[in-house]
Amino acid sequence: MERVLMKGNEALAEGAILAGCRGFFGYPITPSSEIAEYMARKMPKIGGVFVQAESELAAINMVYGGASTGARVMTASSSPGLSLKQEGISFISEAELPCLIVNVSRGGPGLGGIQPAQSDYFQATRGGGHGDYHTIVLAPSGSQEMMDFAMEAFELADKYRIPVMIMAEGTLGNIMEPILMREPVTKFSEKPWATTGCRGRKPNIVNTLHLGNEELESRNHQLFNKYQIIKENEKRADAFLVEDAEIVVVAFGIMSRIVKKAVIEARKKGVKAGLVRPVTLWPFPDEHIRTAAKNARLFLSVEISMGQMIQDIQLALAGRVPVEFYGRIGFTPNPEEILQEIMRLAEREGL
Amino acid sequence: MGHVSIFSGAFGSGKTEIALNYALERARQTKYNEVLLADLDTANPYFVARDARGLLGPEGDAVKVIAPVRELAQADVPNLPREIIGLLRTDNDMVLDLAGDKFGALVLGYISKYIRARTHYNMYMVINPYRPFSSNLNEVMELKRLLERAGRIEFNGIISNPNLVEETTLELIKEGHRRVVGFAKELEIPVTYLAVEDKYYQVLYPEYGNDLKSIKLFLRPDWIRGLEEGMKDGEGQG
Repeated sequence: MERVLMKGNEALAEGAILAGCRGFFGYPITPSSEIAEYMARKMPKIGGVFVQAESELAAINMVYGGASTGARVMTASSSPGLSLKQEGISFISEAELPCLIVNVSRGGPGLGGIQPAQSDYFQATRGGGHGDYHTIVLAPSGSQEMMDFAMEAFELADKYRIPVMIMAEGTLGNIMEPILMREPVTKFSEKPWATTGCRGRKPNIVNTLHLGNEELESRNHQLFNKYQIIKENEKRADAFLVEDAEIVVVAFGIMSRIVKKAVIEARKKGVKAGLVRPVTLWPFPDEHIRTAAKNARLFLSVEISMGQMIQDIQLALAGRVPVEFYGRIGFTPNPEEILQEIMRLAEREGL
Repeated sequence: MGHVSIFSGAFGSGKTEIALNYALERARQTKYNEVLLADLDTANPYFVARDARGLLGPEGDAVKVIAPVRELAQADVPNLPREIIGLLRTDNDMVLDLAGDKFGALVLGYISKYIRARTHYNMYMVINPYRPFSSNLNEVMELKRLLERAGRIEFNGIISNPNLVEETTLELIKEGHRRVVGFAKELEIPVTYLAVEDKYYQVLYPEYGNDLKSIKLFLRPDWIRGLEEGMKDGEGQG
């Protein structure tokens, strides 16, 4: 198979198409727009649907409608656009509809800027809209994973009837890397719940209104039973040199690759550093964090934010190991500055 | 007489890196007369020429990057450097770096009459055949048609830029270049040069001679080199 040079955004869009996605509903916004542009070019040629909606609200509700029919559908946006979509995501979560929602994130709050950030971590991992719910959140680290995770996301979405979010920093969406094209998905699961026309059967109804007290509570319990199963099955993380690590750095997305370089350099300087890279941001891989803590004197959370994932690391460690933080906003920190921070902490701790 | 050199092509074809290198080369050729590099990328403010200010080394002093003013440099609104038309009406050496696809070419259309009024101008199409939408003749022909219609200037040169960034190999350059030469023949536009990174220049020179130009990448972050995705050489726990 020939390798192709793709921006993360393009690789993600192509991955979704290979996964059988035939409906894209979106409203363009930097730094995610290449996803919409790619879909606008490709969808009409493959019998798919591309709609540039009148707003983010309209786009997410088109996803709601499209997913109700059992089709593989998606939307993509960037931070402020994701905020606008939260109501729809809450509805889709309650209706248990599989779909892909992409956030190629940038700096906030407010309009913020178009520079890369990871500061939508809370929004992504805590549900984001109203009510008690979660979406599965995957954080790719490069162009190839943008494609692979888009394909994986549709599988997870169908398997658990849950919206799956891919969160990628603006840098990752825009940087070009060579990728290996994957084969298209040809086997799809049955969706007996979908609204596909009810001739010969009882109508399927997609509804998120539950007026009875007990019905409302029992719906929440049903959702949380499902979330428990997802937590048991789907936590994912990669670990690098954590076995004997005294300083464990935690970073996700493209940041994890930059941190890896810093960890390698720190090792050369005699500091026992390691890296845990959460692949799923929800469910958070807390067991991987605890495993990496075996010899750890210190954890360091590196994020392109003011510090959000650090709270999940602290929850996972339950006070057993202190957690430090290093973050930038609107810049992708380079390996040198992370190395400097690791060395500063190592010196302070006498490691 | 100052030249105007326009770099157009598909999104991600390498226009900006090619334009930066070309501007430096013009600076050398003209014994460090000032070369103006106009960053006209209105489509996407990631990895644009304006980011290279200060990265071009000592020779870069002769290259003046014309870009949207400070606070607008990172704005995702279609804004052009306000002095662009005034500068085109002088006799400067200018390199124009457009955004990709027809969106970038529309900007060219807007300023095309000032370019056509100049004595020397060249319009180059940068092609990387390993990019989506540039991998076969039909796609490249369609791209040329859209770019020329929107830009109102016809191409008179193709710059072959076959690469897979860090995974580029000599074989891949040769094969990609063969394809670009094939496109060029069908489009009846000469290939002006084949651009390769510094490290491939020496070994390819005997085969391509002066059709070859070596380029240095200014906007590609260093940290991406040698970094595979995921932690494939680590102790995977997932």
